[in-house]
Amino acid sequence: MSNIMKKVSWSSREDDPGVAERTPLLNGTSRQVRIERGRRGDSELNQTEEIPHNEKLLSVRYESLDYDNSENQLFLEEERRMSLLGFRFLEFKRWLVCAFIGIFTGLVACFIDIVVEKLSDLKYHAVKQSIVKFTEAGGLCISLILWATLNAAFVLAGSLMVAFIEPVAAGSGIPQIKCYLNGVKIPRVVRLKTLLVKVFGVICSVAGGLAVGKEGPMIHSGAVIAAGISQGRTTSLKKDFKIFEYFRRDTEKRDFVSAGAAAGVSAAFGAPVGGVLFSLEEGASFWNQMLTWRIFFASMISTFTLNFFLSIYHGKPGDLSNPGLINFGRFEDEVRFIVETCHLKSLLTTLCCSLGGIIGALFNSLNYWLTIFRIRYVHRPFLQVAEAVLVASVTATVAFAMIYFSEDCKSLGEEPVEHPLQMFCKDGEYNSMATAFFNTPEKSVRSLFHDPPGLYKPQTLGLFTLSYFLLACWTYGLTVSAGVFIPSLLIGAAWGRLFGICLATSSNSMFADPGRYALIGAAAQLGGIVRMTLSLTVIIVEATGNVTFGLPIMLVLITAKIVGDYFVEGLYDIHIKLQSVPFLHWMMSSPVICFKQVEKVGKIVDILSNTSTNHNGFPVVCDQEPKRLCGLILRSQLIVLLKHKVFVERVNSSLIQRKLQLKDFRDAYPRFPPIQSIHVSQDERQCMMDLREFMNPTPYTVPQETSLPRVFKLFRALGLRHLVVVDDENKVMGLVTRKDLARYHLGKHGLEELHLAQT
Amino acid sequence: MVGRMIARRAHVIKCASRKQEVNWHQCCPELPVSEHGTAQISCLNKSKMRFTDFIILAVYIGLSKALQPDGLGLPVAEWRQRVSLSELSLSATGFSDSFPLSIDDSHCQALSENLTQKCNAFVNCTLRYAQPVGVCLNCYKEFYDYKSLYRIISLPDKGSTDNCSQILLKSDRLQVFVVFNDFFHKLWEESECENCVSDTVIKNDTLYFLNVLQITKSCFDTYQQPGNYCDVCKQCKENYSHLNEVYNKMGKNSSLCIDIEDMMNMTRKMWSKTFNCSFSRLEAVPVIAVSSFMLFLPIIFYLSSFLHSEQKKRKLILPKRAASSSNLMNIQEKKS
Repeated sequence: MSNIMKKVSWSSREDDPGVAERTPLLNGTSRQVRIERGRRGDSELNQTEEIPHNEKLLSVRYESLDYDNSENQLFLEEERRMSLLGFRFLEFKRWLVCAFIGIFTGLVACFIDIVVEKLSDLKYHAVKQSIVKFTEAGGLCISLILWATLNAAFVLAGSLMVAFIEPVAAGSGIPQIKCYLNGVKIPRVVRLKTLLVKVFGVICSVAGGLAVGKEGPMIHSGAVIAAGISQGRTTSLKKDFKIFEYFRRDTEKRDFVSAGAAAGVSAAFGAPVGGVLFSLEEGASFWNQMLTWRIFFASMISTFTLNFFLSIYHGKPGDLSNPGLINFGRFEDEVRFIVETCHLKSLLTTLCCSLGGIIGALFNSLNYWLTIFRIRYVHRPFLQVAEAVLVASVTATVAFAMIYFSEDCKSLGEEPVEHPLQMFCKDGEYNSMATAFFNTPEKSVRSLFHDPPGLYKPQTLGLFTLSYFLLACWTYGLTVSAGVFIPSLLIGAAWGRLFGICLATSSNSMFADPGRYALIGAAAQLGGIVRMTLSLTVIIVEATGNVTFGLPIMLVLITAKIVGDYFVEGLYDIHIKLQSVPFLHWMMSSPVICFKQVEKVGKIVDILSNTSTNHNGFPVVCDQEPKRLCGLILRSQLIVLLKHKVFVERVNSSLIQRKLQLKDFRDAYPRFPPIQSIHVSQDERQCMMDLREFMNPTPYTVPQETSLPRVFKLFRALGLRHLVVVDDENKVMGLVTRKDLARYHLGKHGLEELHLAQT
Repeated sequence: MVGRMIARRAHVIKCASRKQEVNWHQCCPELPVSEHGTAQISCLNKSKMRFTDFIILAVYIGLSKALQPDGLGLPVAEWRQRVSLSELSLSATGFSDSFPLSIDDSHCQALSENLTQKCNAFVNCTLRYAQPVGVCLNCYKEFYDYKSLYRIISLPDKGSTDNCSQILLKSDRLQVFVVFNDFFHKLWEESECENCVSDTVIKNDTLYFLNVLQITKSCFDTYQQPGNYCDVCKQCKENYSHLNEVYNKMGKNSSLCIDIEDMMNMTRKMWSKTFNCSFSRLEAVPVIAVSSFMLFLPIIFYLSSFLHSEQKKRKLILPKRAASSSNLMNIQEKKS
């Protein structure tokens, strides 16, 4: 680790006042020892500093997932006992679970789609009736108030659920799932309650007319469904179905969550391969062929289920034309489009993409400042609900005002419109602005892609882009379940189409259908905001149903990403940083507390109860000299052992004890009781506990001289939680955890250190 | 075996060429009895001369000439004259002159002419009422006539030996009658004429609409003054609203066809564009007031939360560090 340290500077730290007292790195060890004794109220040192929230913090409440399997004796025994048939059956069960994940994700997506459609229809119908009535008679402000009230009512319901019942269901859920696949255990992110709140929340947000999409929450729902089904029980409802017990550990659960996220993507966009690549891009740990195959299976089943049930619902069983929640429609004339992207037109297309990157960077920065403001000042639940309601009513107001003052009228019958709004147009015509605003965003996107040229006036599109951009930027980050895919697509499609119209009018030839430029703009905008390249390319290609668009879209996304990255990070990464999650993007060992192989119970209990250190992994050293590393044991395992009172004395005594099995560990997973709830009497504290059977006898170790990038690679590739640092005699020197690594972040001024904070 | 087949075929051809106006299958009974069945059917099925027949004939002529110098009854020149290329051409009309059809030929011919007539009638009518569109209400009689005749031709009763459908409709690659039939049906369906007219009778709803339209139009005519449209707007407003209502109701019942839609469209254009009678934006003021109020609310909200609520602070936790690694020394040296 010394290599990296020599190369970089510490300039970012020089600005901090009072740095000399607080930075243990620069001082001697004696002061650190004093600090770690937990004397918080020590005014001399004043080390419990409080600072306003910023992005350079790491929260202590995020732990890692134990992806690495603890191959202790119990595990090895179980493996030995399993017959070949049992093995095959286990593999079959994995496939079965993946199939169920796909089916249930498809059903949930179907449910969301149908309910949103019905509610939106009702709302627009009511508002339209009122507008039609009052256009003639006067008093249109009543329609405005009605629309704002309906919006506010829906969003109030959704926001109340999210803010008071399950705050982790806020936002789109993609940042949280990205973290989960990265290996960070975000509390409560894959619970049943989260799923219910998310589903109802997204229905209320979309029906409430907010500038949001329902695709991001679909990914989160897929992940929760996967986590739930693979465990075979619900801890919330306290029902244990006693199946899939083998899968009750972090390794298997995380693999299934990858499958669930892929199924969610595939249901949202009708893009099964895109879903697989999304999981691959985000959770690159231990990727093997069988896992990829199973994930692909889950996504295929998910999109097929959704397609099947939606066809039945629309009354055309066997039609199978709705592979995803969003449908871009069919694009023809691909060859002409490809040929046209050369020479001058390619230059213009590049300009388009750079614009996407720039606008995306602008969106991200605005949203970043807004989110910081929200975290610092709008942190009480009722304030958050009030803010959401306000945003909903303002959305309705803006839409109504724009429709009211718009002069753009088009004849009926040119394109089928769901809720044509006449307003002040002549009879037989309808308001063009209303097609953009008075619709769910998905339909607006479709109409921007496919409507014949001349349907929208440039002023209409320009105003729409500007207002929708501001609304979407304001809306993301609210305490509602909402995604950002569709709003970015819509913004991009709008300015892309505007760009195409301007091109067509400035040069007199038929440059291209504005719909093509709408597609480029949408892809560029989306790439500029979320900065996902590989999976996004495939998702868009699959959603448009045309492989020929692959290369242009890929170039568009790469350009947008490069231009955007020059300014600011992607939206999800910004939010992950703002949530202070120790995310390993692509040192120092702490002093470790070791246990002996046969350890006194009292010592174990004391160390576990010590709140100043929040260690979760403890190396086990041999009893004899030299004190070499023998294994690694986890806090969760120690707690199970304490709970079942697996003491040496009790085993030797005449009381016939049932030997502890892996099943007991699995039953306690995932919510292990805290140490405070385990009662150990004074006598029991003198007993000894033999850790040899339960510890992981072969933990991963690194020598002291290992460089930081190498350690980082191990963590990412193997999904580790703890890494023991040993010297050349295999004596324990230290323990590296994820938080240690995540603290060092390659920022603009070299290696920066982030502070840990209580959040 | 092959030679016998060729001889048989050539015999039939020779026979048919001699008997100009006689039906084809009269040649066939001259064949030997044992092969009568198959040969007759194959005779009957071939209603025209094929290229293979020509080859066979040529071979036969050649062979018979070679084998028997005076084999053919007819002089070759005369034969050649008769079976000239024009007669052997594969056009049905040319053929029908030299090789006559089956018994129902005149029947099919008559049907074909009848069908052509009906098609012409419908096309003429449609084109006459192309603009302004009046296809449904003015041409439905022609359409139904055509439709019934086509049905008779294409689906003959069971048991009759009528094969005009085969002759007229399925004899060639182009299938002109079928193409026209598809086109007519498509036109009819796209006009949605079934909503206004069914079973050669115009529906009641349509008649009612036409009635109301007539009243409205007469109102327009009465009050219309060039240059000054205020009167029209006032006096005919009721009629026009009633017309709109009727139209919307019909729209919900899906009893609209293109004629009705077009008439309504014209009326609307007249009302809105020519007479300029639609309503303008009254009272923009309340709308602006309410909108501004709504837009102002968030600003107040954010300001108040900024000023009044406590800023959320984060407690820093200081990490433990390992004592002895050489890295620390490096850093210290760098700093100092």
